[in-house]
Amino acid sequence: MPEDKWEPKILAFCCNWCSYAGADAAGLERRQVPPTIRVIRVMCSGRIDPAFVILGLLEGADAVLVTGCHIGDCHYVNANNQTRNRYEFLKEFVDELGLEPERLWLRWISASEGLLFAEMVREVTEKIREIGPSPLRRDWKK
Amino acid sequence: MPRYYLAWAKDERIREKGANGGFVTATLVSALETGFIDAALVVEKKSVYEGIPVLTSNPEVVKECAGSLHGAPINLTKYVVDYGAKKRIGLPTKPCDARGIIEQAKRRQVNLDNIVMIGLNCGGTLHPLRMREMAADFFGFDPDAVVKEEIKEGKICLVSKEEGMGEKEKWVKIDALEQKGYGRRDACKSCVTKIPTSADLACGNWGSNDTQKTFVEVLTEKGEAILKNAIESGYVEIEEAPGEGIEKRKQIEAGMQRLAEDWKERMDEVSALSRSERLEFYVDALKNCIGCGACKEVCPVCACEAGAKCLDMNDARDSYVVSMYNMLRIFHLMDSCIGCGECEDVCPVDIPLTLIHRRFSERMQRHLGYTPGMDVKERPPLYETELRWSAEE
Repeated sequence: MPEDKWEPKILAFCCNWCSYAGADAAGLERRQVPPTIRVIRVMCSGRIDPAFVILGLLEGADAVLVTGCHIGDCHYVNANNQTRNRYEFLKEFVDELGLEPERLWLRWISASEGLLFAEMVREVTEKIREIGPSPLRRDWKK
Repeated sequence: MPRYYLAWAKDERIREKGANGGFVTATLVSALETGFIDAALVVEKKSVYEGIPVLTSNPEVVKECAGSLHGAPINLTKYVVDYGAKKRIGLPTKPCDARGIIEQAKRRQVNLDNIVMIGLNCGGTLHPLRMREMAADFFGFDPDAVVKEEIKEGKICLVSKEEGMGEKEKWVKIDALEQKGYGRRDACKSCVTKIPTSADLACGNWGSNDTQKTFVEVLTEKGEAILKNAIESGYVEIEEAPGEGIEKRKQIEAGMQRLAEDWKERMDEVSALSRSERLEFYVDALKNCIGCGACKEVCPVCACEAGAKCLDMNDARDSYVVSMYNMLRIFHLMDSCIGCGECEDVCPVDIPLTLIHRRFSERMQRHLGYTPGMDVKERPPLYETELRWSAEE
């Protein structure tokens, strides 16, 4: 791909019970979702080890999206509380490491919120277009 | 029963060999002889620059190990984990040892009931290599001829003994050394835990009006029991600590903490950098890592074994900008790093790990309002389902 045609690569972890279905709903409702997103389906956002997010960033993702059910709606009682807990750690980690805070997102999206999903992806994509490629990409030169 | 005492060993030999009245040695010896503990974990002095941890049930060995040793910054935590599963162990602990043991107890690696921690107030330790350089550059001594070191009232003393030259003694102010980059280890300069409040007893010369008496603070029931045992078996004598001693000790602690905060700012080369420069700094510092795993092995907080995530998810062939190993180590220590600096000491490529871990962990711990290694009942926040402050929302 030529240099001026750079497009963000966004890694999204989607919970099987809500945001993955939400992405599905966005498709059913014929909403435009930017093709910048790569979805990994997990059974619960509580399954997303912070290590996965860090691995995603090191592999060169320009942003990592963590999505799950709204607090209180978790399919596994309260596992997404843990997601929120870990996100606090990740937020500080990413910030201290010297990455822009916009490279890490946490959103709660339920199965019926297709519109929200599409809008979120659009928002993230725009933001990342603004701040450019991740400095952790492997082709990064000093 | 008041909590502060002045205590000293009855045995003259112990009193002479140990620092400030030999209270710690006498307590350990009496606990061994009366069967209060099965074994003592002490540091045997090989030279001023070298000490090795020894697990022993022989009181004579403990007596041999009396005295302070500033040039061997060993953290005893991992040795307790290795040996202290079933036996009752007594050991002298610096604040970072005590905090490390508490963190291991939180991770269920040690049984705290079996461990008696005789805490030592600690102004800091010196790195053996830096100490050798210091002996040559500042004192004009042959590093190998140094036979004794002592730290007192902000000054460090080295005694050298060369053949045909007799003994030479020289005192230098620590502050003057540290301005030039020598002196205590970076971790010690910036450490604010000077009194081991998470141990069972806290001993030291701060607040003691007599060089032959140790100021002792009793912190737990276990500490009280071992002290009582030492008195009853006739090894130790105590008297109540005077009020001004308690005040003076507090003042010294506060002064040291202020100094530490100062050092923290002065040594922090990263805070002046912009965001992208910061990333560059971390990448530059960590790119030398050869992945030997020594920092994990020695870390008093880490309780993972061979299958640890940081090792498991790391593959040198990935050739990431920063290795997964380092990222995960930093991430996992964000809530729990006690800042002991052992990782930097053992690092074969001299990565400034103390600074890096402090940068990450300090802001997270401030954010969480959590201090690791203080209270065994507080779980590490990363393992919590819900954080205290998020529950309040």
